[in-house]
Amino acid sequence: MLACLPPLGGDPARWGAEAQQAARLTQPGFWPVAQLGGTSAFPWYASPYRPALPLPAVLAAHGGPLPEPLVRTLGGTLAEALASAHVLGVVHGGVCPAGVLLTACGPLLGSFGAMRANPVAGASAASATGLETGCLAPEIAAGGPVGRAGDVYALGAVLAYAATGHTVPERQEIPAGLRDIITVCRSRDPEGRPEPARVLAELLPGAAYGALAGSTEPVSLPGRVVEALSRQSAEVLAAALPTQER
Amino acid sequence: MISPLLHDDPHTVGPFRILARLGGGGMGTVYLARSAGGRTVAVKTLHTRLVADTTLRTRFRLEADAARVIGSGHGAAVVDADPQAPTPWLATEYVLGPPLDTAVEAGGPLPEPAVRALGALLAAGLEQLHRSEVVHRDLKPSNVLVTAQGPRIIDFGIARAFGEEHLTSVGSAVGTPAFMSPEQASGLEHAAAGDVFALAGVLVFAATGLGPFGGGAPTDLLYRVRFGEPDLGRVPEGLRPLLARCLAKDPAHRPSTADLYTALGGTGDAPGDRRGFADLLPDGVLREIARRSDEVWREPPHRLPPPVPAEAPRPEVAPVPGVSRRRLLAVAGGALLGGGLLGGGGWALLGDSGGGGGGAKKKDAVDRPKPPAPLWSTGLWCPDSGGDVMSAGRNLVMRAGIVLCGINAESGKSTWQANIEETWRSTTDGTRVYALRGHEEKAASLAVCEVSQTNGYLGKPLAELAAFDGKEQFNQLLCVVDGIAYLVARSASGKRWYLVAADLDSGKERWRSPVDEPQAAGAPPVLCGGVVGSRVVLCGSPAKDSHFFRLSAHDKGHGRQLWEMSETFAGTPPTRLVADDHNVYLGAESLTARRLSDGGLAWLFGNGRDVGDSAGEERRYGAPVVQEGVVYCVEADRGLIAVDALSGTLNWQEKGLSGRKNQRETAPAIGKRYAYCVDDKGLRAVDLHARKAVWTYETKPLVLTADPKGGRLYVRQEKRTIALPLA
Repeated sequence: MLACLPPLGGDPARWGAEAQQAARLTQPGFWPVAQLGGTSAFPWYASPYRPALPLPAVLAAHGGPLPEPLVRTLGGTLAEALASAHVLGVVHGGVCPAGVLLTACGPLLGSFGAMRANPVAGASAASATGLETGCLAPEIAAGGPVGRAGDVYALGAVLAYAATGHTVPERQEIPAGLRDIITVCRSRDPEGRPEPARVLAELLPGAAYGALAGSTEPVSLPGRVVEALSRQSAEVLAAALPTQER
Repeated sequence: MISPLLHDDPHTVGPFRILARLGGGGMGTVYLARSAGGRTVAVKTLHTRLVADTTLRTRFRLEADAARVIGSGHGAAVVDADPQAPTPWLATEYVLGPPLDTAVEAGGPLPEPAVRALGALLAAGLEQLHRSEVVHRDLKPSNVLVTAQGPRIIDFGIARAFGEEHLTSVGSAVGTPAFMSPEQASGLEHAAAGDVFALAGVLVFAATGLGPFGGGAPTDLLYRVRFGEPDLGRVPEGLRPLLARCLAKDPAHRPSTADLYTALGGTGDAPGDRRGFADLLPDGVLREIARRSDEVWREPPHRLPPPVPAEAPRPEVAPVPGVSRRRLLAVAGGALLGGGLLGGGGWALLGDSGGGGGGAKKKDAVDRPKPPAPLWSTGLWCPDSGGDVMSAGRNLVMRAGIVLCGINAESGKSTWQANIEETWRSTTDGTRVYALRGHEEKAASLAVCEVSQTNGYLGKPLAELAAFDGKEQFNQLLCVVDGIAYLVARSASGKRWYLVAADLDSGKERWRSPVDEPQAAGAPPVLCGGVVGSRVVLCGSPAKDSHFFRLSAHDKGHGRQLWEMSETFAGTPPTRLVADDHNVYLGAESLTARRLSDGGLAWLFGNGRDVGDSAGEERRYGAPVVQEGVVYCVEADRGLIAVDALSGTLNWQEKGLSGRKNQRETAPAIGKRYAYCVDDKGLRAVDLHARKAVWTYETKPLVLTADPKGGRLYVRQEKRTIALPLA
């Protein structure tokens, strides 16, 4: 299991509330929260371990921005996960590169304890500290309510990050094939942003909806990313509590 | 890959909790397991039925030692091991990568840079092994795991230190023919240079998807490994000269592992600095690695429930294709007794084929006798012909692949080996071992030599017969009885073939008598033959596509032919002469007895007898065995029959057998309490009093030999020979 604790200097009670919210999300494509515990002053949650790399670690392992086909796979899978969450009225509200966890079978959305949408009481942009500004939609940064379009804006930032290495690239930095879709996701006007399902269709034309998020089949990943995943897996396999080993 | 535990798998091994199965083999099972501290490992155990075998225990210990020598950089790190435990076990890290054969299947042949990197790292791994004076001896694609950080060499099942006594059988008996070195295929010492040869084979496989000597039957492969040119046609041009040097027949001409490492562009990367290796791998292989890295973290599958024992044998659903046909025959001169068989892995209760079948009574399943545990097991290949186990004093002599091996009857350990490829050129008289001098040697005359039971060398000729051509490959040594060797040989002057008796004391020819020349290419003139009472009886080999063979008898004293006749056969012609003082017995469409005195028909059994569906096979009666006035053989798929040897009347027949496909080419073996037969489910013990099958030992025997004196039944399967208690 992975046991998660609130970050130092954060608000444990708020973090715990968000973990509770996350535990209710059993969407495919979302990092599962299996168990909650502790107190409001010292909360924790636990998830089954599986090898995963946050997107910044993926770029570090690969040695730079990811190839376009992989960006499309990542973006399409995340879009699908968001689409199915939005249908249920759930808004993620905390999509960012560090909250995208790449497993052998594709990305999962994590990032609880950052900023979450309603129904967490008192959630507002003002307290949305800790979230990368490049991923924060202008209307939310301005103090507006967290909405579905905000997730799409953040998705665009994640795609931009995967394709260029940062969340707010110049338009010409973005590979030509991805330029339009990333730009439209990052429209200042929430109304101008596409629905997640539309993003999926743009990134992976012809992909069967529902087949990406939560897949148990490995996806094609660059060699060094596979190397980093398998090394992490091997290290955790070999880990033991020293006092209990013979 | 990860699969569920079986109901009888252990819950713990040593300090580890067992989670799932990773694989199983002839020697043991590999489990995924976790320590109390949370460390996940692969645990290899030795099969319970093999733990009494000290040789295997030693091998197990050596494997643990070898794995420690190679370390985590090039192998699987050893976490813990207990070779002395009641069930010996070895815990290593669980390596995250597919075996090379799976990798090539998943991603296609590797591109040249990947082959080079793979080769350089494997060479470095072997270098490390060899520096510690350990030779792997079984390097092959399935023993190379491809991880994202480079290859790992595993399965040191037969790795051994230089100079250590031959622990594991010998010669062709070990290793995998496709990746064997020629010296190993010849039964000679396979040293460090042998591993270089095997490594080159592995790289050819990585680059093309095929081994350098192709595929096919083990014996063909062995021949090509020893004498054939490797096929490097599809290997990238830049690798060809180097791999050709590694595949040199002469070990001295092969590069060292260090040379190979440099030539392949090795750069001394530490294991932690091999991240670039993954970039060279095809996507299919990377996905396999990723799959394994992820899969091991999923919840392990549930343990399977025990199978429901079925009460009665189930009716035959579909016939299983017959066992391999063994075409060539050999002389059975010194064989211990009739019946051949042999076996492999676990056992199955009669009729317990895993199907549903409700209404089983538990009591029956519990009360049924179980097959015994093997006394020993040794990796000895069974040749296509001449697989009978012969005795030489208290030891055993077996033809194994392309060598002749001396085996300690108590332990199954190999004591010597002789480089005699043709099964028809060696025999024993029960005490000593004899062979014809090699036909490839310079000497022109035919010579019978004794084989030393110390080192397997051929001694000075006991009889040298200048009248016969020593370079003829198909000369045969039928048997040696009372100091007289009986041979079939081609004259030096021409094409005539003779049955020859040579006195080994005086070294002189006693008599000769003309016989038919070989009827089929690649086969000796006689299928089997030997001395029966005052006669020498021969079964001539049939011409290709013919269903007749010659049966003849000669006077032992002066060689004159007493009678000759044509006999028909079905299935495989007889490989073993089955006779008593009165008759020769043959099983084909019917079971027949021919009088030794004049070759006339003494009796014929089975004409018009309803034997049920014989599954379209012409052969209704299996190879017989005669013991104490009773002829035993299997009748179609109905079971064993016992026929009176003098009268040819049925004494009894096996009851209640169905759903089995009898292997009619393998003669039964007879003990005091049981007769042992071979069918598609394995080795079946038939109670001689109850006349019913009592247990089945799961194996695929080719030859069964009963050794009443030693109380053992030798079961020869394709790659392994085991001894069971003869009851």
